[in-house]
Amino acid sequence: MSKILEVKNFYKNYGSFTAVSNVSFEIEDKEIFALIGPNGAGKSTALKTIATILSFERGNISICGVDLKKEPEKVRDLISYLPEEAGAYKNLTGIGYLDFMASLYAKNSADKKRYVDFAREICGLGGKLKDKVSTYSKGMTRKLLISRAIMTRPKLAILDEPTSGLDVVNAMEVRNIIKGLKDEGMSVLLSSHNMLEIEYLADRIAIINHGKIIDSGTISKIKSDNNARNLEEAFVKLAKL
Amino acid sequence: MNKFFILLKKEVKELLTMQMILPMVLTMVLFAAVGGLVGKESKKVEKPTKILVVQLDDGAFTNELISTTKASFDSEITYDADIDKAITRANEIGSLAIFIFPENFSQKLAEGQPAQVESYYIFRNFSLVGSQKITKAKIFLAGINEQVSNYLISQKTLSADPTVIKNPIMAGDHVVVGEKTAAISPDAILGFVTQQTTFIPIILFIIIIMAAQMIATSVSSEKENKTLETLLSIPISRQKIVAAKLIGAGIVALVMAGVYMVGFRYYIDGMSAGQATTVSTEVAQAAGVLGLKFAVTDYLFLGGSLFFGILSALSIAMILGIFAEDTKAVQGVITPLMILVMIPYLLTLLVDFNSLSPTLKYIVYAIPFSHSFLAAPNIFLKNYQFVLAGIGYQFVFFLVFVYIAGKIFSTDKVMTIKLNFSKKKS
Repeated sequence: MSKILEVKNFYKNYGSFTAVSNVSFEIEDKEIFALIGPNGAGKSTALKTIATILSFERGNISICGVDLKKEPEKVRDLISYLPEEAGAYKNLTGIGYLDFMASLYAKNSADKKRYVDFAREICGLGGKLKDKVSTYSKGMTRKLLISRAIMTRPKLAILDEPTSGLDVVNAMEVRNIIKGLKDEGMSVLLSSHNMLEIEYLADRIAIINHGKIIDSGTISKIKSDNNARNLEEAFVKLAKL
Repeated sequence: MNKFFILLKKEVKELLTMQMILPMVLTMVLFAAVGGLVGKESKKVEKPTKILVVQLDDGAFTNELISTTKASFDSEITYDADIDKAITRANEIGSLAIFIFPENFSQKLAEGQPAQVESYYIFRNFSLVGSQKITKAKIFLAGINEQVSNYLISQKTLSADPTVIKNPIMAGDHVVVGEKTAAISPDAILGFVTQQTTFIPIILFIIIIMAAQMIATSVSSEKENKTLETLLSIPISRQKIVAAKLIGAGIVALVMAGVYMVGFRYYIDGMSAGQATTVSTEVAQAAGVLGLKFAVTDYLFLGGSLFFGILSALSIAMILGIFAEDTKAVQGVITPLMILVMIPYLLTLLVDFNSLSPTLKYIVYAIPFSHSFLAAPNIFLKNYQFVLAGIGYQFVFFLVFVYIAGKIFSTDKVMTIKLNFSKKKS
């Protein structure tokens, strides 16, 4: 299997505070990889850096062999990022937003149509897409944003807390969308606090605490290594170390 | 405490933030500083005004008349009838007016006839203080008229025409702008210039402030609406994002400028029942002779200066907008820009710019919008080099600040930088 993402000895500082320290991991093609950890552990910082939003001091990050530090714009063509607290332009309709975002990625009108059609199919908002984003509920906005993030079928979809703040039904729908991304040929890097969600979605995980990866591997390996009945128990044991 | 007062206290506390207090205090300080400067400039007007008298009449009466004005006027007397030489000399000594007493001046008055005095008012700027100085120069002739009138009454020359006794001096007014001269009253020209240029600084001031708020809000609202991170992750260079925001706001600002100018013209027209924007043929012709009418190229110069002034403001506001965490903080972060706009706005409106100290002049020149405010009067005075240099400076300033904005957008600072007015908790 080819490597989609390679992170080697990556450090990120905010002034004198080290947010991420010596982090390394890889994501294979069509793999869902989760970065989990307590609040302030450095998950979002790592995701934002891989999404080219933040710079980093040391280490190497490459996506499909493209060096993030040297060619960030090329990397942006390969990835798509959904921030934890993302919003959409409220003056646009749902379909207007998808159309606008598709225009920024598409090389021609056929590409654009393909992206919008795919997003329309995934989000499941139907006729509501004609309404202004300002009238959407949190769940509708999140589904719109997820469909935006994956409509271009990026090599790597970076999803920060994709179901954060959603009700049970909406969260389940979003999880199903993410689960189906592998079949669409995409790899996913996600972060979440919801261990059940991680167990359901992720092929492999890395547990991060105080900016350092304290364990990584398949969920069954982590559970057995820590003699835990479930991922939550393993996480609590590791986080207390 | 009464529940109403608890609510009232909360409302006042929420409104009286540092973001609101700081602009208020800075504006007050600025008004006080400009007020002081204008006061100082006005005192200069109180000093004896320099005038040049061309004395072609050899009568002792004329010399005596001129000497009576010594307290208010610093007169230099020349006996050369060449008006061109007189204008050159007036420019050398900084005289605001030339008064020519003709050969037969005393004789005509002695015969009970009105005497003509040719007056040339030299316009070097069109500010409030500048027009005050011209008005003061005009008083010279009014003083002479009164002296002669009093003399005629004291001589009991009752055979003379009462109109002549009341107004024995006939003024032949001329206006000089640069190397051009036209026979017209200075008041008419001042009125014409004011009418043509009043809108520009007011509109420019409003547009710069509104455009700055627009672009700063556009950046901060991306943060507030959580769309900035998505925007930064799309495959488009950060410079293009900055340029799109700047040019978008620039276009809207230009449209706004056009709409406001038309609206303001209608407003002035309505207020004055159409008189303020209509010009008599005589004044229009004189303004044409003096080169005070804008040609197509003049409008291009003016438009260029306004456009680059707005772009300079936008580039600064873009950077300031990055400091605003949300749209509420925008007012606070653009305060420095508002102060920078108010300084040239007030100074060009109120003060004779040429009389400022060199240090103050260069400080004002360093503010890019000053050149937009100074463009119209300088175009009137055909000082194109100054206008072009100003546009060049604005363009370079704009490029530098766009580069800085692009750099900030390319770093973490666009996400992490913010202006924090809150007190540090111990």
